[in-house]
Amino acid sequence: MSNHDPVDVLIIGAGASGAAIAWSLLETRMRILCLEQGDHLADKDYPSRRDDYELARYGDFSCDPNVRQRKQDYPINSADSCITPVNWNGVGGSTINFLGHWPRLRPSDFRTKTLDGVAEDWPVDYHTLAPFYDMNDRNIGASGLAGNPAYPDYTPPHPPIPMGKLGRRLARGFNEKGWHWWPSDVAILSRDDDGRQKCVNAGTCDLGCAAGAKGGSNFTYWPILENAGVELRTKARVREILVDEGTGLANGVLYHGADGEVHEQRAEMIVMACNGVGTPRLLLNSTSKLFPDGLANRSGLVGKNLMFHPLTGVAGVFDEPMRGHEGPMACSILSQEFYESDPSRGFVRGYGLHSGRSTTPMTFALGGYGIDNPIAWGAAHREIMDNQYEYLAGLTVVTEDLPEEHNCVTLDPELTDSDGIPAPKITYRLGDNTRAMLRHGEERARELLLAAGAKQVLGKSDDKVWWRAGWHQMGTCRMGHDPANSVVNGWGRSHDVKNLFIVDGSIFVTAGAVNPTSTIQALALYIGDQIKTNIETLFD
Amino acid sequence: MIWSDVETARLDAILDELIPANPKRDIPAAGAAGVAHFLSDKAQADAGFHATVSSLLRLAADMADMADKVTTDLVRQLEAQAPDDFQMLLAETYKGYYSRPDMRVKFGVGAHPVHPQGYDVERESAEILAELTAPVVARGPVFRDLPGDKQ
Repeated sequence: MSNHDPVDVLIIGAGASGAAIAWSLLETRMRILCLEQGDHLADKDYPSRRDDYELARYGDFSCDPNVRQRKQDYPINSADSCITPVNWNGVGGSTINFLGHWPRLRPSDFRTKTLDGVAEDWPVDYHTLAPFYDMNDRNIGASGLAGNPAYPDYTPPHPPIPMGKLGRRLARGFNEKGWHWWPSDVAILSRDDDGRQKCVNAGTCDLGCAAGAKGGSNFTYWPILENAGVELRTKARVREILVDEGTGLANGVLYHGADGEVHEQRAEMIVMACNGVGTPRLLLNSTSKLFPDGLANRSGLVGKNLMFHPLTGVAGVFDEPMRGHEGPMACSILSQEFYESDPSRGFVRGYGLHSGRSTTPMTFALGGYGIDNPIAWGAAHREIMDNQYEYLAGLTVVTEDLPEEHNCVTLDPELTDSDGIPAPKITYRLGDNTRAMLRHGEERARELLLAAGAKQVLGKSDDKVWWRAGWHQMGTCRMGHDPANSVVNGWGRSHDVKNLFIVDGSIFVTAGAVNPTSTIQALALYIGDQIKTNIETLFD
Repeated sequence: MIWSDVETARLDAILDELIPANPKRDIPAAGAAGVAHFLSDKAQADAGFHATVSSLLRLAADMADMADKVTTDLVRQLEAQAPDDFQMLLAETYKGYYSRPDMRVKFGVGAHPVHPQGYDVERESAEILAELTAPVVARGPVFRDLPGDKQ
């Protein structure tokens, strides 16, 4: 075991949130070190440069770490869940393979208890975060159309990406129904900016964006951070966070380095940025006399209240080719007509209707993105591929999950990663409210597709959600004012350990029904701002 | 090829049933397209997959002595008798067939790697966006806010 010089700030995880808070703290001139279990993704390793690029989606570029099984990945036991978490471990984190959809949470998402009597209110509100959403949008190069009536006013820095034939067709259907829709906000450049190339509409955002148009933190924050002197130590997997038993403060970590050895790294302040599965896993693995049930877990809520965004999809067969494989695969238009609570619907809160574009033939034949259910073989196969595939436009129902304590991340008693560190186990089942929402959403999506001119509508109708859809992992170390009912305070500081901060999706109090990364990064920038504001009394 | 000539002929016949040809669009069946080579390569690297396909081929041999006796009904029986193995073969067949650039292009998708070329997609003009979004804007705000929140 070797020692390293102590640092002022130790960030664990080089993904969306770790990069954002490092950027925020740059001006403090503190010595910042980031430990990342993965590595940089070399330009030559992007599958989209290969002829058989789609195969990577089912191998070493799968979004599912249990399929991918790269050295830096840790296994996840999701046998007791109807949704399996997906991610990327490396510089950029899951912004490497996320789809770049960039909606914000809405004001009501922060006030679900007050407005709808469910879950808890956040200790921050939309308007407090709004400047940090704006700041982050500039940093990553967001594109979109100003004036969306589903939000208080804001203006994305770049114009929207093309909706495409598919998006325009669906938009006219929404107008026919009189329902809300808007061109999607995206973390994807619609024009060249700051040395990055605009989107070329490759349609394979999940395979990493070789052009750098997608605003992954590997292309946005990290080049700036490394130039500014932030040390990024890759292939460094943190085993546990250490605590000074005298002060009760965190004082460093043990990590497995690229050399295969265990190292100790001391730090004045530790920031966790491992997201909704990785962060509780590490806290639960960090036991001591002071914290026998896991670090920062006196509330017993570390790992509890896991929220995903359960998804289902409906597709319409139209009378002309929809060219759905051209353009960012999950981003065209978004309807929030059914986002807010309406008691007449039989459920509380709501969902979005996202117009995913189509996929390429192989992924479609295998059941679609995130689904392992190959389409029919034989004569039926010919019918589907010849008369449906090119003519499809689909809608994805993205529902708001409510926090429930039985949905959780724990440690698997047997499964470990390649360094012998206990792996996470997911226990998750759909709530009745979510099931009602999914049914309602599927019916509305069918209505919409017919209004848009679909001659046939294809749905799942089997009461199942997409399996490989655990992109959004939230709630497992939630924020709050009350230490008995939350893990961190209103600016991400652990109630129990005053120099331990959490900045990732685990601190979400509720999930909303939108992709969370824009909020994760806005929160990280906000927490960084609060750290700077409170620097004199930071650990009091 | 990891399998014998007889086994390969039988496999080709099964593959032709899984993805039949469409002569009108010059789309070959999977066996004729040579997907067996893709499967053989996978079997060389994956003993489990090799065993799975070999088992299916033995089962098919019990049902039909010669490759040309492979029928749709026989393949249905394979699916019914060994559903997990069959699903694995089916998925790998789809991968081997549709990952080929020459096959993608028959379904309207470019043969080229998607980077750096991508696809040309025209951005909607400001006028079209204004026309399309006008009914949405006309409805006014559709979000809820709390008067007490900072604004």
